[in-house]
Amino acid sequence: MIARILVGLLLLTGLATLVARRNLVKKVFGLAILNSAAVFLFVMEGAHSGQGAPIVDGSALQIVDPLPQALMLTAIVIGVCVTALALAIAARLHRATGSLDIDVIKERLGNGHD
Amino acid sequence: MPTRLAALASVLAAAFALWPLFALDVAWPGTVRDYLEAKGTVESGAMNLVSAIYLGYRAYDTLGETVVLLVAVTGAIGMMAAGSALAPREAGGAPVEPARSPRREARSRQRTELIAALSGKLGAVILIFGLYVMLYGHVSPGGGFQGGVVVASGIVFLALGSHGAAPSPLVGARNLARIESAGFAILLVAACLGVASGKGFLAPPLPGGDPVSFIIVLNAVIGIKVGAGIGLLCVAMLTEEAA
Amino acid sequence: MGMTDLALAPAILPLVGAALALAGKTARPASARTLERLGAFVGLALPWLPLVLLAPSILQGGAVEGFVGGWAPSVGVAFRFDGMAWLVNLLGFAVAGPAWVHARGSGPRGSAFTALYLVQASALAATSMAADLFNLFVCLEVLGMASYVLVTESGKPGAYLASFSYLMVSAAAMVFFLLGVYGLYRLTGALEYGAVARGLSALPDSGGHAALASVAAIAAAIALRTAVMPLYGWLPEAHALAPHAVSAVLSGVLIKTPLFALTRILVLLPGGGETGAILGAAGAIAAPIGVVIALSQTDAKRLLAYHSISQIGYVVAAWGAGVALIAADPDGAGASAGAVLVAAAYLHALAHALFKGLLFLSVGTVTDVAAERDVYRLRGAGRALRRAGERLPVTTLAFAVGALSIMAIPPFNGYASKAALSAALKGRWQYWTLLAASVGTVASFIKLSLVFRRPKPAASTETFSEEAPPAVADTATEAPESGAEKVPISAKLATATLAAACLAGGLAAPRLYRVVATALGAAPGATDAWSAALYAPAELLKTAGLAAGGLALFALARTAPGKALASAIRNRPRGFHGLFLALCLGMAALTAWLIR
Repeated sequence: MIARILVGLLLLTGLATLVARRNLVKKVFGLAILNSAAVFLFVMEGAHSGQGAPIVDGSALQIVDPLPQALMLTAIVIGVCVTALALAIAARLHRATGSLDIDVIKERLGNGHD
Repeated sequence: MPTRLAALASVLAAAFALWPLFALDVAWPGTVRDYLEAKGTVESGAMNLVSAIYLGYRAYDTLGETVVLLVAVTGAIGMMAAGSALAPREAGGAPVEPARSPRREARSRQRTELIAALSGKLGAVILIFGLYVMLYGHVSPGGGFQGGVVVASGIVFLALGSHGAAPSPLVGARNLARIESAGFAILLVAACLGVASGKGFLAPPLPGGDPVSFIIVLNAVIGIKVGAGIGLLCVAMLTEEAA
Repeated sequence: MGMTDLALAPAILPLVGAALALAGKTARPASARTLERLGAFVGLALPWLPLVLLAPSILQGGAVEGFVGGWAPSVGVAFRFDGMAWLVNLLGFAVAGPAWVHARGSGPRGSAFTALYLVQASALAATSMAADLFNLFVCLEVLGMASYVLVTESGKPGAYLASFSYLMVSAAAMVFFLLGVYGLYRLTGALEYGAVARGLSALPDSGGHAALASVAAIAAAIALRTAVMPLYGWLPEAHALAPHAVSAVLSGVLIKTPLFALTRILVLLPGGGETGAILGAAGAIAAPIGVVIALSQTDAKRLLAYHSISQIGYVVAAWGAGVALIAADPDGAGASAGAVLVAAAYLHALAHALFKGLLFLSVGTVTDVAAERDVYRLRGAGRALRRAGERLPVTTLAFAVGALSIMAIPPFNGYASKAALSAALKGRWQYWTLLAASVGTVASFIKLSLVFRRPKPAASTETFSEEAPPAVADTATEAPESGAEKVPISAKLATATLAAACLAGGLAAPRLYRVVATALGAAPGATDAWSAALYAPAELLKTAGLAAGGLALFALARTAPGKALASAIRNRPRGFHGLFLALCLGMAALTAWLIR
């Protein structure tokens, strides 16, 4: 239970960073934390479903459910890709406006955004 | 303070909505585990059941995942390449001077001889380890994606080491892009082989044969594609900084 | 090649096309162009073949379902190609093809763009047939990734910011989706929709709060992607600043596909019917609000983007009411009545995809040619088009068709689909909000049509002198290729095709509605009464009344208080954090309503 609450707090930390920080790169960090917390929860809980690694090698241990691990593998890659793309966009915005602060960027992009 | 307030409200709302999911404490359902423990190795040929799912049972999701990676690489590279051509304008039409901090230039000079020599040599070792993780993914912890990421870090080491003297062709962005799109094409061909042999899309195509060969092939192709893709992203961002 | 391969083909062929286009990236320029065109042909034209081949069995209410690769049901990835999947594919490829052709002339071009565009088409098809929670997650992520990049292809700095906001809020929503998947898997040990539903009904109290919270998280994530009212904040900028062809696909197709994919989940899981009802109510409220905001806009494409929010409101209103009926009574008369509502929603979604695609493309051509996007300053658009070498006024006519369609003037498809919505929602409160929204739609398209009016003499010499660029040069960044802009033949071809489709959709509406309702599982003959009354005097009178009301509203909006109000609405405070606040509060409200 404690572990799950801690992961939940991690998730909320990510969300708060994502919303409250004005720096684009820190926003991306927040998103990465948010995503990792969800992945963490799924894998952590899945690991309680047995004792052994999900490799069939004749050992007597009850293996864990391999599905969460396989699914989260996919979710991790997708998370990395989203992060990379977000950083690329942030870099591009920085080059266009000279700032990483979202309010400054909005202001400098100016009247296209009335 | 509206941003802070909005953040606080968002966090509280999310905590309320997601609380039942974090409080959930029922016994983990064993359906999939028991099924795979009994039949997984026979049906897919892989002793590592994570690989069996990743490249066998749910290879369709993995195909989607490689597509996401492809899009991220194509998009990010496109943005960085096109970036220099952009002449940003403010409302008045005057171009904004892109801010280049002096620190940034200093940082690219921080790559010392020591790092260059060490990481250049380590790169090759890491590449080989990545290939091992990739190719033995069906019997041991590891697999195409995990191996691919190790390969990508090998590529990053090579890029860090290729300071000055003739860099390895593996760190050239063009080559990596080529490898990545070729990997994607091969993956699609492998996926469609099953259609030709009548067993269906993404099914192991060989009739009667051990399905493990299909998993090994997919592991290798995905490993190379992931390695090239993530390597390309890193190399592009490294050279971006140096430029 | 079996039926399952045939059903998967609309998702796979665009991927093959994307691989071909990407192969061109490293080839010589000449062969790169050939490969790009070949890829687009494989990815956008060939998928029609399996759709046509599958039509006879699917449209009778049949379905192709199975597990990709023939793997075991408990672990494998389920897909279901039913009437709804077929119809969503029809909608997607009908817009994606012409929009790509338009992009040949208006940009962007190139291997990378075509590859991403094809990936997006593939993800649309895959999303429409997903029947597995995690697979839906992956499909939505592919769809999202492709669209984040495509929005930036216009190269405008503002588009990067729009794409960044879209990416961040949609990625956060997908994390909630993932947590919903976790909850349902944790409870049932299954990912396939049917198996999840069976697992939940076997549990005491059907999974309780956790199941409801999971459904709410999944529905909230999809509502964000659909831009249902409180969760729409990312859409206007992204759709307004994307390249025209991408705007057409984003507005026409991309926001509807996840919604229809959600249907399968909601009709099966606990809380689904109530979720549908709530989303439907939000949509019915969104329709008039969206149109008021649209009416206050000055930028032509932003006006169209806000209209998408209003129009998706129409679709969601009928869809949600239908889902609530189906979920309450999955095997009885309620299911048939619900299917008619969903069919009306689909009919409007299809009509909107065609006419909004058409509007984005034709307005895009106009604003490019005139190098001006402000609907108050742009005048004499027809003349600008003629000067750009358009002898036959294809673009002008295409715009007229699109505007008449969205204003619901017979005989175009918008008239038929809005009549279908009115008939299906008759007697509910949603009927009245949609009616109010229709008045606003007429008003705002009268406003947009004014760009074709002759310029005032004084303004004309200033704005349209032959050598000097328009005096309003501060928007020149938005149309970098202005000046010697010709209307490309591909643009004319694309708009003409879509205009013809709008007309055909209106003329064949009774037949189309019957086919759609049957494919979605309505009882035979459920739409006959509607077909008979389509052109009844009462309906036509109502249309005339709406048009008159629209004219009056437009006149009202031109008065001084109207202008002040419009400016206040246009400049209302909006921020990045607002997107997340809306998402989290929306999700929390949905959860609270479900577990109350």
